Amino acid sequence: MSANIRPSGVFDVSYAQDISLNRTRTDKIIANGLFVLLLLVPLLTVEGPLGLNLLPQTWIGLMIRIAIFVIAVQGLNILVGYTGQISLGHAAFVAVGGYTGAVLARQLGFSFWAALPAAALFTGVVGLVFGLPSLRVKGFYLAMATLAAQFIIPWLLRYPLTPWTNGSRPLEVPPPTLGPLSFASENAMFYIVVPLSVFLMLAARNMIRTRFGRALISIRDNDLAAEQLGINVFSYKLQAFFISALYAGIAGALLAFHDNSLSLDKFSLGLSIEFLAMLVIGGAGFPLGPLFGVSFVILLTQDIIPNRLLPLFGSVLPTLLPFIDPVNITSSLSPLLFGLILVIFLILAPRGLAYRWEIFKIAWKIRPYSH
Amino acid sequence: MKKIALFVVLATLLTMLALPAVAQDAGLPDFIQHTECQVDLTGQTIPIYHLGDLSGSYAFITQPLIAGLGDAIKFFNEHGGVCGATLKSDVGTEYRDTGGKREEAQAAYDNFSSLNPKPDLMVLYASADAELLRSQVAEDEIPVIISAGSVAGLYGEDAQSPGWIYATNPLYADQLGSFCNFVADNPERFPNPTIGYISWPGAFGEAAYTPETISYCASKGVTILDTPEYFLPTATDISTNVLNLVDAGANILYTNSLASGPFLIAKTIVDLGLQNEVQLAGVNWALDTSVGLLSRTAINPDNGLPAVNGLIGSLPFYWWTERQQPGIAFINQQAEANQRTLSSRNIAYLLGWSIVDMYIEIYTQTVNRVGSLEAVTGADIKQTIESMKYSPLGLFNFDYQGGAIRALPDNRIAQMAFLNKAQNGPATSGDDALTVDLPDGTKAFVPLLIPLTPFSPAPDLRPGGADVP
Amino acid sequence: MTTFLETNRRSLTRAAYAVLAILVLLWLGPLILEQRPARLIGSTITGLLVGGIYSLIALGIVVINKASGVFNFAHGWMMLLGGLLFYSFFASGSVSPLAAGVLAALTVIMVITTAGWGALRSPRSLALGAVAIVVLTVLLSLSGAEWQFIRAIAGAVAGSVLVGLVVERFTIRPLIGQPLFAMVLMTLAISRALNGITQLIWGSVEIPLQVFSWVGNLGLPMPIRFDARDTLGGIILIRTELLFAFALALVAFVAFVLFFQFTNVGLAMRAAAEDQRLAQSVGLRVRIILAVAWAIAALLATAAGVLQGGATSLSLNMPLLALLAFPAVLLGGLESITGALVGGIVIGLVQEWANLLFPGTQAGTELAPYVVLMAVLVIRPDGLFGQKRIERV
Repeated sequence: MSANIRPSGVFDVSYAQDISLNRTRTDKIIANGLFVLLLLVPLLTVEGPLGLNLLPQTWIGLMIRIAIFVIAVQGLNILVGYTGQISLGHAAFVAVGGYTGAVLARQLGFSFWAALPAAALFTGVVGLVFGLPSLRVKGFYLAMATLAAQFIIPWLLRYPLTPWTNGSRPLEVPPPTLGPLSFASENAMFYIVVPLSVFLMLAARNMIRTRFGRALISIRDNDLAAEQLGINVFSYKLQAFFISALYAGIAGALLAFHDNSLSLDKFSLGLSIEFLAMLVIGGAGFPLGPLFGVSFVILLTQDIIPNRLLPLFGSVLPTLLPFIDPVNITSSLSPLLFGLILVIFLILAPRGLAYRWEIFKIAWKIRPYSH
Repeated sequence: MKKIALFVVLATLLTMLALPAVAQDAGLPDFIQHTECQVDLTGQTIPIYHLGDLSGSYAFITQPLIAGLGDAIKFFNEHGGVCGATLKSDVGTEYRDTGGKREEAQAAYDNFSSLNPKPDLMVLYASADAELLRSQVAEDEIPVIISAGSVAGLYGEDAQSPGWIYATNPLYADQLGSFCNFVADNPERFPNPTIGYISWPGAFGEAAYTPETISYCASKGVTILDTPEYFLPTATDISTNVLNLVDAGANILYTNSLASGPFLIAKTIVDLGLQNEVQLAGVNWALDTSVGLLSRTAINPDNGLPAVNGLIGSLPFYWWTERQQPGIAFINQQAEANQRTLSSRNIAYLLGWSIVDMYIEIYTQTVNRVGSLEAVTGADIKQTIESMKYSPLGLFNFDYQGGAIRALPDNRIAQMAFLNKAQNGPATSGDDALTVDLPDGTKAFVPLLIPLTPFSPAPDLRPGGADVP
Repeated sequence: MTTFLETNRRSLTRAAYAVLAILVLLWLGPLILEQRPARLIGSTITGLLVGGIYSLIALGIVVINKASGVFNFAHGWMMLLGGLLFYSFFASGSVSPLAAGVLAALTVIMVITTAGWGALRSPRSLALGAVAIVVLTVLLSLSGAEWQFIRAIAGAVAGSVLVGLVVERFTIRPLIGQPLFAMVLMTLAISRALNGITQLIWGSVEIPLQVFSWVGNLGLPMPIRFDARDTLGGIILIRTELLFAFALALVAFVAFVLFFQFTNVGLAMRAAAEDQRLAQSVGLRVRIILAVAWAIAALLATAAGVLQGGATSLSLNMPLLALLAFPAVLLGGLESITGALVGGIVIGLVQEWANLLFPGTQAGTELAPYVVLMAVLVIRPDGLFGQKRIERV
């Protein structure tokens, strides 16, 4: 997008520099510095080794949740944003990852470190199976084929596979350990989840610099033209399904080991739709889209609305609207506020936050000239 | 324009600030006996944290809980609070709506559990939430009070490890067990009893259908069919499901659902003309105002009483109509004073009051022992709960002394009927039934719950429980 | 070998389908033969009747899709909102003239300004609007039980048209020309907002809507029941309210089919669905078409909500029913009105038969429709009646 816009005075002298992630030394220092800062965050909380209480402990939980969801949504981004194949069954793939990881750890005694990649691979294969209809089916019809996954997979997990999955009842999952180290606490889990999430973000970012990524994008933009150019459309679509499900599997396994329990009700159609919402809010097709979208939605629904807006409106509205039962007001506020904020957001930024971010970056690079 | 708006907002804020200043203390009714305070907590606040489905499919039953909690908090705060400390439960900061989504419940719990100071007691509503959070509350050392009693939520996967969750109802499996006892004790009413299990899918709906209840009931001579039927709460017509069970030989249908669930089954039975051949029974939630209110469409003076007339279920506490009990009389009076609609005078409103009353007793005892509110931890609260015996407003016995049991052991079986116009007994026909005028102009029938058995211990039907054959 | 496969590809595929079909029949056949005839007849009737409601829901989703290519996730909440509006005017003995006037005024203003706010400056449309407001207000404030239906229908029509137009004007219209995804997500945002609004006004409801009580007054049996335990081995139950809901759904259906086939607006909507820009360039006013589509969809949703509310109850569960209609839409084909009808009925039948043939497996409501959907999509990628797309580079 902004590949050919450089701050004045910066010139690419080689192809490697042209496609590199960090084009200048400053970029590199900033990126690495940010990563180190990120890793320092848990040390500044109450439960950190120093007990500093500089940052609220709730931040760690929120950041872990964001990091896990970013992985899941990044998987969806590869399928929807890069390849243009709509999926309404992503939560089911996350469930497959979670249950595979949990069952491997409980029944077969796998450690977390072995269960995670195994769960990811298995989920990838399941994704491949449900990707098969993409050979013939396109657009919303494909969305429905994935919607079928959203109902068939939970049914399989709930009824025929009950002996392993506990059916409708939750499945307890042991926390990850490494030798004598236990990762039961939030702060310890942070050091598994966040670096992995950053790595997978970079991998997804890298993907669109390769032949593979460009092939996916060409399929999204025009699959017939892509085929004419000699791209094996079906094979690439299947690979996209595989990688997308792989990401979902990793996210699912992390979620299982982080929450220490799995419940099928978590992975409903609502969650699949929410993933899609996060992707569109962040900006589909942008590597940074999932980060923006997930942060926006999670911060909004889990911090800003309940901690800031609800107490405000919950105390003011009953006085302003005395003819409405206060119980109605409190229970209607969270869906109402979320819906209205989303409506306003979509009108203002229909292409997502990442798109705005790219525009902002370009504007910054070519300052002080606006054209 | 902006100035006017600002003025209005300011004026509203000022009035809101001025209002709470006129609190009074008139003393509690004598039947509420809290432990004497040894520490003065005036000026401090005790939050009641809870999370659950307020806007999804269970909203019909959970919203009265919010009403009950709110009315009770207001009442007790005006009458001295907890040794002077005020109770508080506001939307967002102390309680959150999860819309029935597990992922939201997890997120809300993560938020509450990482607060500083950490909650030392919480309230949950749904079995599924309890089952999901069971190991997490144990790890975070936060005791939880819940009304729902599912085996996995209270005792874990192996059913042998009592955790940090305490239920105010008997286990769903035990409720089905005590219903089987009732059936076995009344052979003239239920010859050759065969139960078909029909419910909603999910942790709550499937909770009573366990291998232990099946074998226990079989030992009492009551068969439970091994083809349970589950239908979604959205179902339009469930005659196929009901007929599947009836064809397989069921003459009793048992449901672990609430509100529209039992109502739809009852209506289908009547529609099929099977009301004399099939008895409907259910969990304690099935015997609720909501079911009675829903049945007002089914009534038709020609058809006799509503479809749910005669519904049998567990009633492990005192009910609205048992006004000889002072707690019930008091709550009736309070619901009247707070202008609560008929639909909110249900089981959850009673629970809301009980929970607040229990909070006061638990905190008073704990603070007396520990010395100050700041020093109280979840472990202290757990210790209090496991050493006390308390009957909130006299509605049921909350007795977890010894710590091995996490659900109420006592249960009784009751039958739903409709009051006659004289309000002195069940109605004998549709014309005889008492109706009340609802605010929307329609009429509703007042359900009456008639106990069929006295309170007695329910069988212990956890896996490996004492009564499992 | 390869050439043989290449040249006979079509017949080979057909042969494979035939073999599969025979296998499925061999598997299901014995299960069907085991059943008593009464149960088969009963489940078929129930499936058909339940399917009628699915069809009506599917039609509402298809209408939006035909006009704007968007899949409407808010349809379920539009059903509940419409049903509750109907209920509010139906159940209360009289409506305050103020409330009636406000609703009438808002609706009329939204209708006359469909093409743009400029209409408010034209005296002719203002005069027309004033007349319409007065007529509507009078209709809405008719008091007494005998006017119940007129009042409720007028209120529900006005209310749902208002909802449809407001949604379109303030949320969908600003997104014309933006990525399709944003518009699909917008319907999701609307569904959350409508969720909040219904809760705010009506609270947590569970209201059986007594729209079919007049059926009982007519002397028709409720329900219609054939006790054929001696002859066919069971009871056949036809729930009268479902039967009427089905009949009304069919009437609504036929009305909308005629609308699409024979009116200019209907034809224009079909054109707009094909290509918004192209439609605009040949002089069709895409904005108006979109507005009409949303108003119609809201009306269809209300009809479905009222009928479903009458058959069961108006509750917060109702929006989930729209999810069950999704496979119906796709089974029939996204663009096809006949498809919506057939799809809805097929899904209803599949659910009931699966419940009947596989008791205790819970295959009926969630699994079977999707398995059938997958099978249909693999054989016919554009649904049963969908248009085959011809794509160009």
